[in-house]
Amino acid sequence: MNTVLPSAGWSGAMLGLAASIVLALLGFRAQRNPDRVRHARLRVTAWCMLGGAVLSMSALIGALVTDNFAMSYVAEVHSRSTPLFFTITSAWASLGGSLVLWTLVLAGYTAVVARQVRSVEDRLGTGALGVMGVVGIFFFGLVTTVANPFTIMANPPADGPGANPLLRDHIMVAFHPPMLYLGFVGFTVPFAFAMSALLLRRGGVDWLRRSRRAGLVAWSFLTGGLVLGAWWSYEVLGWGGYWAWDPVENAALIPWLVATAFLHSAVVQVKRGMLQSWNFVLVLATFALTILGTFLTRSSVVVSVHSFSQSAVGPALLGFFVLVLGGGFTLFALRGERMASLSRPERLASREGVFLVNNLLLTVFAFVVLTGTVYPVLVEAVTGAQVSVGRPFFDRMAVPLSLGLLLAMGIGPFTPYRHATFGVMWMRLRIPLLIASSAAAAMVLAGVRDPGVVLVMFLVTASVTATVRQLVVTVPHPRPAAVWRLLRSQRAYWGGQLAHLGVAVVALAIVSSSAFAQRATVTLERGASAEFAGYSVTFEKTERHELSDRTSTDAHIVLREGGRVVRVAEPRLGVFAGRPQAVGQPSVWPGVAQDVYVALGALEDNRVVLNLYRYPLMSWLWAGGALVAAGGFWAVSGRLRRKKTDEEAAPEVVSRA
Amino acid sequence: MRRLLVRWGSGLLLVVLLAVTVIGLAGGPGRETDRAYELEQRLRCPVCKSVSVADSPSDTAQAMRQVVRDQIAAGRTDDQIIDHFRARYGGWVLIDPPMSGRTLALWILSLAAVASSTTWFVLRWRRRPEPVEPSTEDREMVDAALEEIRTRDPIEEQP
Repeated sequence: MNTVLPSAGWSGAMLGLAASIVLALLGFRAQRNPDRVRHARLRVTAWCMLGGAVLSMSALIGALVTDNFAMSYVAEVHSRSTPLFFTITSAWASLGGSLVLWTLVLAGYTAVVARQVRSVEDRLGTGALGVMGVVGIFFFGLVTTVANPFTIMANPPADGPGANPLLRDHIMVAFHPPMLYLGFVGFTVPFAFAMSALLLRRGGVDWLRRSRRAGLVAWSFLTGGLVLGAWWSYEVLGWGGYWAWDPVENAALIPWLVATAFLHSAVVQVKRGMLQSWNFVLVLATFALTILGTFLTRSSVVVSVHSFSQSAVGPALLGFFVLVLGGGFTLFALRGERMASLSRPERLASREGVFLVNNLLLTVFAFVVLTGTVYPVLVEAVTGAQVSVGRPFFDRMAVPLSLGLLLAMGIGPFTPYRHATFGVMWMRLRIPLLIASSAAAAMVLAGVRDPGVVLVMFLVTASVTATVRQLVVTVPHPRPAAVWRLLRSQRAYWGGQLAHLGVAVVALAIVSSSAFAQRATVTLERGASAEFAGYSVTFEKTERHELSDRTSTDAHIVLREGGRVVRVAEPRLGVFAGRPQAVGQPSVWPGVAQDVYVALGALEDNRVVLNLYRYPLMSWLWAGGALVAAGGFWAVSGRLRRKKTDEEAAPEVVSRA
Repeated sequence: MRRLLVRWGSGLLLVVLLAVTVIGLAGGPGRETDRAYELEQRLRCPVCKSVSVADSPSDTAQAMRQVVRDQIAAGRTDDQIIDHFRARYGGWVLIDPPMSGRTLALWILSLAAVASSTTWFVLRWRRRPEPVEPSTEDREMVDAALEEIRTRDPIEEQP
C-alpha cells in the first residue's frame, strides 16, 4: 500500500518523459511537413505532458502529507512533526522535488503554447513545441533518473530529519521558489520560438512578438521572485541585509539582466526593424543562463546559502548547458547571417540610440556579474587555490552601471525615434530637469551631503516627472477616465513606464537605506536599556515556547520613544528536533519612513547581545519591486488582448485567399 | 520675446540650481569614514556563506572585528592588517579581490568588457551606414504587387 504513491509519481514522470519525446518528434515533423501531423495529436501530447507532471507533483505532495516514508524524497526532507503548511512547501525544499516543480511549470507553459498553436500551418508554433519537447525530455529525464525522488525505500524509516530549518520557518517559502521557477522556466518559451524561427529560416516580427510576450510573462515572474527572495533573506537571515551578491542570487540576476535587455531591444525591432540578430543572441543567452544558474544552485560548485542539495545532477545540467549553448549558437551562426536586419540606427541621439546604450549597459552588467560569480570556481578548478569575489567588487562595478541605466531610463522614453534634436529634448525635459535639480539643491541645503543619494534623487525625480509630463501632454482630456483609457490603450508603453517608476522607487530605497543606515551592537542584562536611533531599547524577558517541531525562545525587547512603549520586538531563536544548529529569526518593525531591525547576536536567560539596525525607506524596496513586476504584467495584458483581435481577423484573410 | 525669455530663464535657473547642488556637495564635510568598518567590509566571514565580517552576526565575525580594532589601536596600517588576515586564513578571506595575483585576471576581464563594448559602440557611430539598395528581385515583387492592386476588381476590395 505504501508503494502506491511512489509508483504513481514515477509513472507520472515517465508519462511526462514519453509525452516529451513524442512532442519533440511530432513538433519537428509538423514543422518540416505540416500535412503529415494531425493538430489534435500535438495538443493531446502536450496535455499528456502536463498530466504526467501534475500526477507526479500530486503524488509527491500526497506522500508528504500522509507521512509515506517509503518514498525516498519523503524520508529525506520530511519529519512527522512538521506542520501541514511547511509539509506541503517541502515538496520543493530539496533537489528532487524542485525538479518535479520545474517539470510541472515547464509542462504548464508547454500546454499554454500548444493552446495558442491554432493549426499545424503555424509552423513557427509547432517547431517551438518541438523545442519545448526536447527541453522536457531533459528535465523529465532528470526526475526519472539521477534526481529521482520516487525511489521506494526497502526499509522505510519511522521518521525523517525534516527539511532545512530555514525552509520551514517563514511563509515566503510558499511564494519565492514557485515564482522564481515561473520566471526561470518561462524563458524556455522565447528560446523555443527563437530556435523554431532559426530552423525555419524565418525571421521577422512573428517570432519576436511571441517571444517578447512570453519573455514579458517570465520576466515579470522572475522580477517578483527576485524581490521576494531579497525580502525573505532580509526577514530571516539576520545580518540586516537583503542582497549579499551570493552566487545563487547572482545566478538569478544574470538572466534577469539579459532578459531586460531583450525586452528593450525587441521594441527596436518591432518599431524600426533593427537588431534582429542581436535579439536572437539575447534570447538564446537568457535561456542558457537560466540553465547555468540552475547548475550553480543545484550542484555543490559554489558555496552559497542556497546549497541545500548536492548530487549527480550537476554534471547533467552542465552538459545540457553546453548543449544549449553549442547547439543554439551553432544554429544561429549557420542561419543568423541571413536573418540580420539590414537597417541600422542612423543616429545616437534617437530612441533607438538610447535603447542601444541600455542594451550595452545591461549586457556588460550581466557579463561582469557572471565573471565575478564564476571566477572563484574557475580559479579553484585550474589552480586549486581558493579566492573570494564579493560585495566590494560587485558594488564597484554595479554602481556606475546602474547610474548609467537610470540616466538612460530618464531620457529614453521621451526621446523621439530616428533623430532627436536638442530643441525637442529641451522642450520635453526642461520642466523635469528643473524640478529634479530643485529637489537635489533642496536636499543639499537640508544637509544631505552624500553625492550618491543626491545624484540618485536627481535622476529619479527627473525620470518620474518626465513620465508624469508625458502623461499630461498625451492625454486628450485631463479627466481620470481619459487617463485610464490612455493607460489601457498603450499598455506596452505605459506598462514600461510603470516598471520604470518601480525601478526609480527601488533605486531610491536602495541608496537611502544604505547611505543613512544606522547600526549598533549592544549587550544588555535583563532589565537594562540602551539608546539606539532615538529609541530606548530595553531587554525585558525571555519566553520559551514548545512547538510541534521546535523549541523557540523569544527575547522581549521593548522600544520606547519619550517614555512611551512604541514596539515590543520579539527576535527568536529556534532549535529544531534533530538539528544541532539553532536558527535565529530577527524581528523587523517595518514602516513607511523606516524599518527598525532587531537581530539576536547571542541569547542567554539574563543577558542578550543585540544587533540593531535602522534603515530609512526600506519598505519602498518591496513596493518598488512589486511595481516593476506589475508593469511587466500590464504590458503583457494588452498584448494578449490585441492577439485575440488579430485572430478574429485572421479567418477573413484566409477565406479571401 | 516672452518665449525666448522663458527658454533662457529656465536654462539659467537650471544652471544655478545645479551649481548650488555641486558646490554644496563639494564644500560640505564628506561622509566620515570608519576605518575599522571599511576594513571589516573587505574581509570574508569564515563561517558564513557570502557575507563580510562587517555584516555577519556570527561569533567568529565578532572576534575578527575585535582583532581589527585591536590592530588599529596598535597603530598598524590597513595593508598590514589585511596581510595579517591573509596569512591566517589564506587569500580566500579577502572578499574584495585585489588587483594583483590570482584575482588580477578578474579585473582585467571586467574592465576589458567595459572598454571593448564602449569602443565598439563609438566606432559603430563613426561609421555611416551605407544605404541598402533593393535587389532586382525585390523590385519585381513590389512592381507585381502594385500591378495587382491597380488591376484588382474594385468590388473585391470591400472588407
